[in-house]
Amino acid sequence: MSHPLVATTNLVKTYELGGETIHAVDGVSLTIDNGEFVAIMGASGSGKSTFMNMIGCLDVPTSGNVEIDGIPTSDMSGDDLADLRNRKIGFVFQQFNLLARTTAVDNVAVPLIYAGKSGEERRDLATQKLIAMGLGDRLVNSPAKLSGGQQQRVAIARALVTEPLMLLADEPTGALDTRTSEDIMQIFQQLNDDGITVIVVTHEDEIADHAKRKIMFRDGKVIEDAPVTNRRFAKAQEEGQEVPA
Amino acid sequence: MKRSLSSRLSAWLVNISIAMTALRTNLMRSILTTLGVMIGVFAVTLAVGVGSGAQVSVLESINSLGSNMALVFPQPDGEGGRRSFERGRLTTRDARAIEREIDGVTDIAPQLRVSITLVASGNSTSTSAIGATPAYGRVSNVAAEQGRFITDADVRTAARVVVLGTSTAESMFGDYNPVGESLRINRIPFKVIGVLESKGSSFGNDNDDIAIMPLSTVRQRFVGDTLAGPDDLHILFVGFQDGVQLSTAKREMTDLLRDRYKVRGRDGNPFTIRTTEEFIEETGQVTGIFQTVLVAIASISLLVGGIGIMNIMLVSVTERTREIGLRMALGAKKSDIRNQFLVEAAVLCVIGGAMGLLLAIAAGRVLTAYADFPVPIGLGVSIGAIIFSALVGLVFGGWPAVRASRLSPIEALRTE
Repeated sequence: MSHPLVATTNLVKTYELGGETIHAVDGVSLTIDNGEFVAIMGASGSGKSTFMNMIGCLDVPTSGNVEIDGIPTSDMSGDDLADLRNRKIGFVFQQFNLLARTTAVDNVAVPLIYAGKSGEERRDLATQKLIAMGLGDRLVNSPAKLSGGQQQRVAIARALVTEPLMLLADEPTGALDTRTSEDIMQIFQQLNDDGITVIVVTHEDEIADHAKRKIMFRDGKVIEDAPVTNRRFAKAQEEGQEVPA
Repeated sequence: MKRSLSSRLSAWLVNISIAMTALRTNLMRSILTTLGVMIGVFAVTLAVGVGSGAQVSVLESINSLGSNMALVFPQPDGEGGRRSFERGRLTTRDARAIEREIDGVTDIAPQLRVSITLVASGNSTSTSAIGATPAYGRVSNVAAEQGRFITDADVRTAARVVVLGTSTAESMFGDYNPVGESLRINRIPFKVIGVLESKGSSFGNDNDDIAIMPLSTVRQRFVGDTLAGPDDLHILFVGFQDGVQLSTAKREMTDLLRDRYKVRGRDGNPFTIRTTEEFIEETGQVTGIFQTVLVAIASISLLVGGIGIMNIMLVSVTERTREIGLRMALGAKKSDIRNQFLVEAAVLCVIGGAMGLLLAIAAGRVLTAYADFPVPIGLGVSIGAIIFSALVGLVFGGWPAVRASRLSPIEALRTE
């Protein structure tokens, strides 16, 4: 594949707020290749999340273009974008965003409903991913019965269940303690080693240091884009060490 | 990516299960909302049932008259004409002419009608009496249950005999079999020769409160001096064979009688002819209007129930904005979100509709048992009620569902 996985050209997003025009993202052009592990950094209001939402095809740019896997998205309909997200992008959120009163398996299976998979396929694939996340004994637990780390791992299983090309994680460790955060970052590193492109939005340096490349945002612009020099490697936790909720 | 039929079906099943989860989550709210639809469907279904019941009982009472028959009255029919008759005429000779000249006539039942007072062993009652011939029994499906009916001999001899309806018999003689008993009718001694089979009641009118005497007896003893001619009639029943076109027969009878009374051109008739066919048609129209009005009134409660659905669906969409955003992020298309909420509204309505239907069937049974009024709620009406409930859900859930599907994924996801 000669084209980059994500390519933005002169990406702009503006908001009208109290009669003032806010430039949340102000002319960003960059590319992210297959297999990269990118940390997008910046203070709150720097435009990093808005940028992420646009490359995740959740938000529509005011101007400029986003290409995903070589496909320009600017002329795509809402339904086509939904389909693109479903097949190529896995999302991990700060607040996990699991459906309450719904089992881990059913939560993980949600994207497969929209991929048109049968009930049996959905159950099988979701179970596989949960086992891969070390949650084989938590398949029918509802989120309320899971710890924060377990909930985030369910969310990662959900993000992976359609075999996407990339994971987009917006402050994935923001609601977790330090040790659980390490667990989650270790999972991301492992997934990246297996070939999935990982893009993490964070404002914490320790989290960003797990990535291979850091992109720094300020006032809607990229002010720094460099490889991580002192990469952190999350220590593998021993089995069963995690404290249940 | 096209989705296969089985995965579409599976997606609907998923929507139903999502809907059930959502409805369970707010159980009390779901129950209260369902109640509105339940009452609406109950009212509409019961209205349909009562309307059909009215139709059924009217048709029954028309059929109890005799199924294929024309009634001729000596009343001017008041239709058109430069000259209309002030007083109508109808005689036994007219009846014979009809029997002779009209095709398909099986029987003619000439009658005189009179109010009488019966007295026997200290009991006294008033009723209406029919002076009839044996043909009356055949045309009107009337027969004696005990004793016998009027015979030709009774008519020939103007016998002082009477056949009583069950109600009249009971009020005169109680449970005692009155056949062979004597009584006085308007002070003239008569003998009871039979008691009629019960014909029940229609619209509060007791069909068994009646007495039947020979036509000649009534003419001689009770009404002779009030008639314009010695063989005038109050009413004539004409029975027809099955399959005879009553509208054609009516036209032929009209022509015959106009000829006999020398009515010309566009003058009105000195008689009126009505057929059972016309009765059925007219009452069908009346009960149809009755049913329509009833259903229209009941529909208002269903409308209120539907508005309740819309209200609660709007609340549900607002509450679950974040879930909608999440589902969109994970690949849900507009139609997926719309269908999810449509199914939720439809499920809510179908549950309410099913309960309303059961309630209406129960209420119908109670009405039938205690008020002797048939309330037929058949399979067709039942299926209709369920489908209609689902439609209420789709109509009133439609706007909230479309609103949900139009949310922007990122806006919805950001909602707290």
